[in-house]
Amino acid sequence: MANPARNRNARHRSKSARKPKFQADLAPIEDGAVRSLKEQLQLTSNSDFLSEAVALFQWAVSERRQGRMILSESASGDRRVLVLPRLERVAPESALPHVKIDWTDKELESLAQLASSEPAKPTEALFRAIRE
Amino acid sequence: MATIIRRLEESDSLESFDCGDEALNNYLKRHAWNNQRKSSIGVTYVAVEEVAPGSVIGYFTLATSSVARDALPKKQVRGLPAYDLPMILLARLAVDRRFSGRGLGHALLSEALRIALSVSEQVGCRCVIVDAYAAAVEWYARYGFIPIEGSKGGSVRMYLDIRTVKAAR
Repeated sequence: MANPARNRNARHRSKSARKPKFQADLAPIEDGAVRSLKEQLQLTSNSDFLSEAVALFQWAVSERRQGRMILSESASGDRRVLVLPRLERVAPESALPHVKIDWTDKELESLAQLASSEPAKPTEALFRAIRE
Repeated sequence: MATIIRRLEESDSLESFDCGDEALNNYLKRHAWNNQRKSSIGVTYVAVEEVAPGSVIGYFTLATSSVARDALPKKQVRGLPAYDLPMILLARLAVDRRFSGRGLGHALLSEALRIALSVSEQVGCRCVIVDAYAAAVEWYARYGFIPIEGSKGGSVRMYLDIRTVKAAR
């Protein structure tokens, strides 16, 4: 005899185990690049391709997050550093040096006032700068 | 125009860069790379066109700094945590004259502020400070930078609270 509670649980498990779909609109040139990469890497499915790409990206983010540079080196010792603006965003803390700023007493007073006040609301230009 | 903003590289072509200000030109051409690579005084990010990826058309330089809590006037520190005040210094920002009026300054400042946000989430940062030329004060003010009173010399020191930047996300 069927057990409704068990069936419900099974349906719930199957729902939660469902894999999320990933869909992307690619320009013809990007589509060509994906096909070419899949061929070179001998990957047959888009899922496998995405899985490999995510693994590589995860590694790159992890390396840059730790402040490590990613570079390639030829047999003759010629080195090329990988610089991706998006990647640089995860590692600025290791690359932004600390400097000393000279402040006047009046500036320090004004700074303390500003820093201890409620922050101002973002301006339209700031919204555009951050959200674009 | 597809523009890329990335960290300065040694191989970048800088000689033709001209923003109309000799000090800013000179910094990029003579000091930016050494300050980034050897001295760790500032990190410079450059804008390049996708079609000419080695030719710099704009840049900004960032560094971190802090003000010791003891240095701040006692009557004003009550609202502040009992630590030094960490901040990011937007040390320089310039656009090549040939590319002015195309929104490149906005793109550079946007990237600088996004980096400031990222830093604030990883190591702490209370504000962004810029030493603005008098002619640029109004431009920075549009983004919410507030003049700090008491600046001396030809520039105006300005303050942008990182909480304001966070609220813009």
